[in-house]
Amino acid sequence: MTATLVPPTTQLPPSNHPYADVIHRLEAGGSMLPDTPENLMQIIGLYKAYAVPMDFYWRDLLYIAEQVFLEPLPAFKYFLPQEYLDLRNHYAGDDADWRFWRGEATAHPELLEFMSKGELNTKIPKLFHHLYHDRINMEFAEECMRAMFWHRNMGGELEPYMDSEEYRQNADRAIRAYFKNNPIMLGLYKLFPELFLEQCRQSTMTSVLGLFWEIMAPVFFEMSDVYDEGGFKGVPDAMNFLVSGIFAIAGRPIYHRVNIRGEWFEIVPKSKGFTWLYEAAFPYVEAVFYRTSPFRGTKSYNAQANEVPKDQNDFHYGILYADKFPVGSAGIPPTLLHQDMYHFLPQYLVDYYKQFCRGEDDTLIQLGVSFQRSMYNVTSAVIQAGRAAFLYPLDDPNPKHLLANRHYFEGQLNRFCNPKYEMDKAARIGMVQDQNYR
Amino acid sequence: MLSALIWLPVIGALAITLLPQSQSKKGAIIVASAILILDVLLLKQFDTNLAAFQLSENLPWLENIGLNYSLGVDGLSLPLVALNGLLTWLIICFCENQIKERFKLFQVLMLLIHAGVSGAMLSTNTLLFVLFYELVLIPLYLIIAVWGGLQRSYAAMKFLIFTAVSGILILAGFLALGWLTANPTPIFDYSTLQTLSLPLEVQITLLVVLLLGFSIKAPFVPFHSWLPDTYVESATPTVMMLGGIVAKLGTYGLFRFCVGLFPDAWALLAPYIAIWAGLGVLYGAMVAISQKDIKRMVAYSSIGHMSYILLAAAAATPLSLIGGIGQMVSHGLVLALLFYLVGVIEEKVGTRDLDLLNGLLNPLRGLPTTSALLILGGMASAGIPGLVGFIAEFLVFQGTFTKFPIPTIFSIIGTGLTAVYFVILLNRTCFGKLDNATAYYPKVSGLEQLPALILTGLIIFLGVQPVWLVKWSEKATVKIAEQSESKLLVSQVLNESLTSPLIKN
Amino acid sequence: MAWFKIKTIVNYANYAQTQEITMTTIVDIAVNNEGFSTLVTAVSAASLVEALQSPGPFTVFAPNDAAFAKLPPGTITTLVQNIPQLARILTYHVVAGKYKKEDLIGVKSLISLEGSQIDLDISEEGFEANNATVIAADIEADNGVIHVIDTVMLMRPHWFYPIMESGKVGV
Repeated sequence: MTATLVPPTTQLPPSNHPYADVIHRLEAGGSMLPDTPENLMQIIGLYKAYAVPMDFYWRDLLYIAEQVFLEPLPAFKYFLPQEYLDLRNHYAGDDADWRFWRGEATAHPELLEFMSKGELNTKIPKLFHHLYHDRINMEFAEECMRAMFWHRNMGGELEPYMDSEEYRQNADRAIRAYFKNNPIMLGLYKLFPELFLEQCRQSTMTSVLGLFWEIMAPVFFEMSDVYDEGGFKGVPDAMNFLVSGIFAIAGRPIYHRVNIRGEWFEIVPKSKGFTWLYEAAFPYVEAVFYRTSPFRGTKSYNAQANEVPKDQNDFHYGILYADKFPVGSAGIPPTLLHQDMYHFLPQYLVDYYKQFCRGEDDTLIQLGVSFQRSMYNVTSAVIQAGRAAFLYPLDDPNPKHLLANRHYFEGQLNRFCNPKYEMDKAARIGMVQDQNYR
Repeated sequence: MLSALIWLPVIGALAITLLPQSQSKKGAIIVASAILILDVLLLKQFDTNLAAFQLSENLPWLENIGLNYSLGVDGLSLPLVALNGLLTWLIICFCENQIKERFKLFQVLMLLIHAGVSGAMLSTNTLLFVLFYELVLIPLYLIIAVWGGLQRSYAAMKFLIFTAVSGILILAGFLALGWLTANPTPIFDYSTLQTLSLPLEVQITLLVVLLLGFSIKAPFVPFHSWLPDTYVESATPTVMMLGGIVAKLGTYGLFRFCVGLFPDAWALLAPYIAIWAGLGVLYGAMVAISQKDIKRMVAYSSIGHMSYILLAAAAATPLSLIGGIGQMVSHGLVLALLFYLVGVIEEKVGTRDLDLLNGLLNPLRGLPTTSALLILGGMASAGIPGLVGFIAEFLVFQGTFTKFPIPTIFSIIGTGLTAVYFVILLNRTCFGKLDNATAYYPKVSGLEQLPALILTGLIIFLGVQPVWLVKWSEKATVKIAEQSESKLLVSQVLNESLTSPLIKN
Repeated sequence: MAWFKIKTIVNYANYAQTQEITMTTIVDIAVNNEGFSTLVTAVSAASLVEALQSPGPFTVFAPNDAAFAKLPPGTITTLVQNIPQLARILTYHVVAGKYKKEDLIGVKSLISLEGSQIDLDISEEGFEANNATVIAADIEADNGVIHVIDTVMLMRPHWFYPIMESGKVGV
């Protein structure tokens, strides 16, 4: 913890919260992450390193949701066809709906280069890269999807819709069309309709996550470009860029459609009016940053051991609570993401990491900690966006309004102070305040 | 050849004192390597088919008191001499970074200790043995007191007192033995003493005196109280030497002088000694289980494992004696490995407390190779097949079970308990998660890994090819066992007050 | 100033009614007044004009142009590109039934046409709906009443309330 206290900037008296410094910083328009140049460099670098694999994730997720759909043995679902590599991102390129990134709408050139050469740095057929696991670790994206699916109670209107009769009818139409000339699968569908329906719901969540990341990738690319030009004066600037981005895209429709032999079947039509903010952003942050699921090998799944909470709301295994040191351990999907990010680190971060801890040897852990900082920043952006959307501006003259803001911030930070299951010890918000946490 | 083994380190040590500080390490490495090469040559030259002393050298020195410079090597001393050479070489070449200052003094003292131990193991004259035995004492006291933990001066003094008392007892025993068999000069020549015989009561008295002396050195419970403090407070290379080879002086003396010289008295006392050994194993294991400091845990493990050798000596069958010698070598290798690794952990992590250590197997931020070797070392100590510990312990149990089943069962239980405390150690230290707030440990370099890798390699090799461990000692142990059997038979047949025609009433 | 304008309109509307010229619906009031141009554009884009001209009655919390201007750039653009999503936001500002300010004293919340709840807070300090302040209340139309608000309201998700509770209660 830093020694200097952050004084409150509003007219309210100082907060009594254990993380009072952070509360005051949020009330002043800042982030949960302290505003230092090192922090800014770390988070922007990781945004860029995250965005390149994310470019692959969203394309492949949409491919899986739209084309692979209910394939029983999807051995090639990670072999992204050219059509999806060329799929134009709606938020980049000249013909964007709302242009976040100045760059191109098709797949990022660094991604294409990695896909052709891999870590081995040789051009061998894609199948060998895939079998050697020298590829983008799509398993992480699917794990995020599964987390969102498992915690689907965080959804707004989409969640009850997935249980509705209308959804069931849409799904039924699509399933029948998909397995049209396949009597075995159709027979199985008659026997176990709920199974296929649940698989269809999982496919819907895949589409939701793909649509979510379709936005985040160009946003992160743009942030990296702005930083390279010197456009960000500090961490709050970067956070505010994200907040504006969240608002700009809040109304983006969330839908799920499946392409069956050239014909598009709407399972969740755009006309239902589901929005990006409520159906993708908030559930994603909650399911992936806060909750996810306990990683095998790190927690005992034994019910008598009482290590895994009975209430889903108490899950605390997301990036904000993560212990970054066990890297490469089997069963911890975020380490797959770290492996991906390792390939796309900007040079200034590679040089920076060489100076600390074990230099090149533990770059994976160092970038993992930087990534944690960057996700604290994203969470702060979401918290500030929530405040702007549902509560009052930071410079509101009415003290009642400011108090409501403070209650909101304190309520958010209370999630890091819960002593149940040692959540307060697991939360890393205290550690990211210290620059020496690497 | 044997004199070279003793005097080369001494001359080398003197030469190093003349070198400047920066060159002293090079000089020491040259001397230690030369000694190691001599050891290999000795192994080559040794004829495994002979039971008697080989490559003997005999120089009359102080004839009137019977102290002659006579050296010889047989199947009992050869493995230990080789072990001595190996450990000294490893310590001198690789363990410098645990010694922060006064390297030259350290190299000199280490070489002197080596010379003393070699001399003691190679001498076939009991007074010469005592001379070299005492010679080891002062350099060892200095080495413990100068480099080590906070309580090292206390530990060194305790060590000095205990070992001095042990030396006095041994000296008294040998002097008495010499005068009682005097002809008319006291006899201190080992081969001669082997052929003589004394009244049983006299034998028992002398045996008890010598046994006490060697029990303090080895040490065996309850004379062990100097060991935990000394081992814990010493620096890593010191304790590798202490536990690895210097402690073996006690067990070597046990085999050579107690079993070898007093077979009938030994046979009489053997059942009690066997039970003593069994209880010692259990004691060492149980105290080790309760330790919170990993170095102290390994130290108590050492006490437990030494008692296997006592058990083997008590049974005095050929198989158990081979097992005992094997256990001396095995224990030396495993203990050196364990203390080295514990030393690395203490240096890199900064603590030895079991409650604080956690997660060292972490591949990027932990000490993965060190932890992996620690697991192997723990397995070796617990007697897992495939490693040298199993060979030694199995031979001991096989050899002692027919004679003393109950103590053997105690010892087998002790082996099981060894697994218990090693699992505790490994579970806490290696597995689990690193503490995010403190786990910023420096890397262990390749050179720092090397001694551990060499020791592990040997442990695995000897575990898989045990013939290389036991083939040196087979003939010698058969001879000792035969003597014990024949003397037992003789003493049973004739009446107890058998006197030698050589002793004038 | 706005009050005078609205009073004029209301008078005109009454006059129009007595003259049986036309009905002054909520839409008419919005169209004929300054400060609602963004709202009118949005309502027409979302094809909600006919709905807001129907007899109802409705209570509409109408964000003025300043309220829409407070939204970060791109928000409106994205919404206008996606009509169902825009319609959802707009219907959130409409409640079935005619509730004037005095009817709402003591009422904690209303359910909007969109389906989500609007939290109310009426006191001497003011009349608030969610995080918006009503700057002009009780503008009567033939098919309902308009309360002008200074912020665009967004649906409060179900997790919002426990967070606020937790913040009030403490750790």
